[in-house]
Amino acid sequence: MNDREARYSAGIMILALVSLAAVVAIAWGEVAGQRLVGGAAVGVILLSYSFILLFLRKGGFTGV
Amino acid sequence: MYSRALARLLDWTLRLDVAINRVYPEDFNPLYYTGGLANLFLTVLVLSGIFLFLYYIPSFNDAYISVQFITNTVPYGQIIRGIHRYAADGFMIAVLLHFFRNWFTDRFRFSRDEPWISGMMLLLFAGFLGVTGYVLVWDQRSQAIVAMTGHALGAVPWVGPWLETQWQGSAGISNLLLPRMLYLHVGPAVVLYILLWWHYVRIRHPKVWPPAVWTLFSLGLIFLLTGLVPAVSQPAARPETVPTTLAVDWLFLLPYVGLKVLSPLVLIALAVVITVYGLYIPYQLPETPAALGIRDSGIAQVIDANCTGCELCYFDCPYNAIVMTASPHPGVTKAAQARKLFAVVLESRCVECGICIGACPFEALELPRLLERDVQEKVVQACRS
Amino acid sequence: MPELARPRIVGFLCDFAVDASALTAPDGTMRDAPNVTLIKVPCSGFVRPAWLEFALRNGAQGAFVCGCPLGDCFNRLGNNLIGDRVTQLRRRFERQKIHPDRIAAIYFGLHDQEGFVGAVKAFSEHVAQLPGPVVPAPRAPGGGPARPAARPAGEAGAQPSAPEQPAPPADTQEGS
Repeated sequence: MNDREARYSAGIMILALVSLAAVVAIAWGEVAGQRLVGGAAVGVILLSYSFILLFLRKGGFTGV
Repeated sequence: MYSRALARLLDWTLRLDVAINRVYPEDFNPLYYTGGLANLFLTVLVLSGIFLFLYYIPSFNDAYISVQFITNTVPYGQIIRGIHRYAADGFMIAVLLHFFRNWFTDRFRFSRDEPWISGMMLLLFAGFLGVTGYVLVWDQRSQAIVAMTGHALGAVPWVGPWLETQWQGSAGISNLLLPRMLYLHVGPAVVLYILLWWHYVRIRHPKVWPPAVWTLFSLGLIFLLTGLVPAVSQPAARPETVPTTLAVDWLFLLPYVGLKVLSPLVLIALAVVITVYGLYIPYQLPETPAALGIRDSGIAQVIDANCTGCELCYFDCPYNAIVMTASPHPGVTKAAQARKLFAVVLESRCVECGICIGACPFEALELPRLLERDVQEKVVQACRS
Repeated sequence: MPELARPRIVGFLCDFAVDASALTAPDGTMRDAPNVTLIKVPCSGFVRPAWLEFALRNGAQGAFVCGCPLGDCFNRLGNNLIGDRVTQLRRRFERQKIHPDRIAAIYFGLHDQEGFVGAVKAFSEHVAQLPGPVVPAPRAPGGGPARPAARPAGEAGAQPSAPEQPAPPADTQEGS
């Protein structure tokens, strides 16, 4: 199962980086006055979090 | 023929589950939480709606401007407006999934008809809310909606003109229109919660929130859509001209597409027929379980002698069909003699699932046609073979 | 040491979970696993944990309940409730020295015959290699908790002339 864990961990890392990028996008959106970009970035973060939770469960890190 | 069609739909619905459960763990399957998803979107709608309500002005001259003000000037106004719009679509999708899933999986039979009826009312009110919401913006789409609805209502025999007046606030289009629309938007939103109370009355531990994965996903999708496809108004309404085109939101404005091909009276008749049929669904097939090929175990019975008033059945019944009353007299067994409370099964709510029998440690509940001793006999037989 | 290659297993299957009609012989045993007998119940939540114990005490080596997939119980809460009850029963079994793995709660939907048969076979194989008798041998009569010694003479209110009788352990004589 280590291969499965490895794959899902990689996925979680990527999603975490995407979330980080989205946080930067929010900050940029505020500064540049493009609040819609910030809104979309909030959406990206929440979507990434939902998939991180899914990957945590599928990778066996959390769960029943 | 209907029951065979329903059986096939049940089959497909559950096969869809198999496919979904390959991707998502079972307790994350969104189709198991359609009601919770609807509630999530409703909460978002109410919160964003309160925000919009703070700035909206229901008058011919100022409505469009106030909406533009929210969109362009109020900080985050465009985002909140977008969230309101996309949560409305999400709400409708979730409600329709909830409707179809509960229909196809038979979860409305016999004593489960009240959540179904209240659910139909919720569906109607939700649709109506969407329509009045689109009118409040008072752009050309709103104008078209008001005109088409008024025209359709006016075509109803006898009460047509009265209905049209109720819809518009006055006989013609006047300054009373938008306050009326605002009332017809906020009022039904409050009624939704009253209907939800009715919807939950026969349900214990209603699943009102989806699992975290889907809460995050839904909220994220709404925000993403808001950013990518911002909600904007159509060109402002101009009372002197009647618009001929309509930018359609298929989830709410489908009847107006229908008005292009059907006459108003036919459309209203169709709407009435569909609604009445929807309310009739729980009663359509023969009422007896035997006729449906379902087990008929009988309403759960409380064994007076054994009941100790421990409340375990009360807490476990999924349909709130058991209530605890003050014990009218002591029971027979030692534990039952000291009881203060006594369990009573409400026959109108019991679906004969037997969960209370599983909960009771004192053998104080039985299903009349599936007694504990029948089960024990079967176990003994199974152990002998 | 494995007791039986084919342990006797009793399974409770709810009406709305996996459709086992094609998997079962007319006498209730499973075609793929003839040592398993299925008993149909209206809902997995209908099953009293006492019945699982009853099965173990009447000749079965293992007992399980199968309900709808978690989250999709036809009666909303039944499978969650039986899951909780089986967990509680397993803990009670540990205290009573009955192996908790002799009971299980599993969840399979209408079309998941493969998964169901697989899980039942795995359960059966696992039960087959569990050690020891299913339930511990009953204690000899009167062999309950240590009998209290004869009442000490200096106890308040004791009459020296009262007959020295050990307090009868009446409660431990009752059935299990």
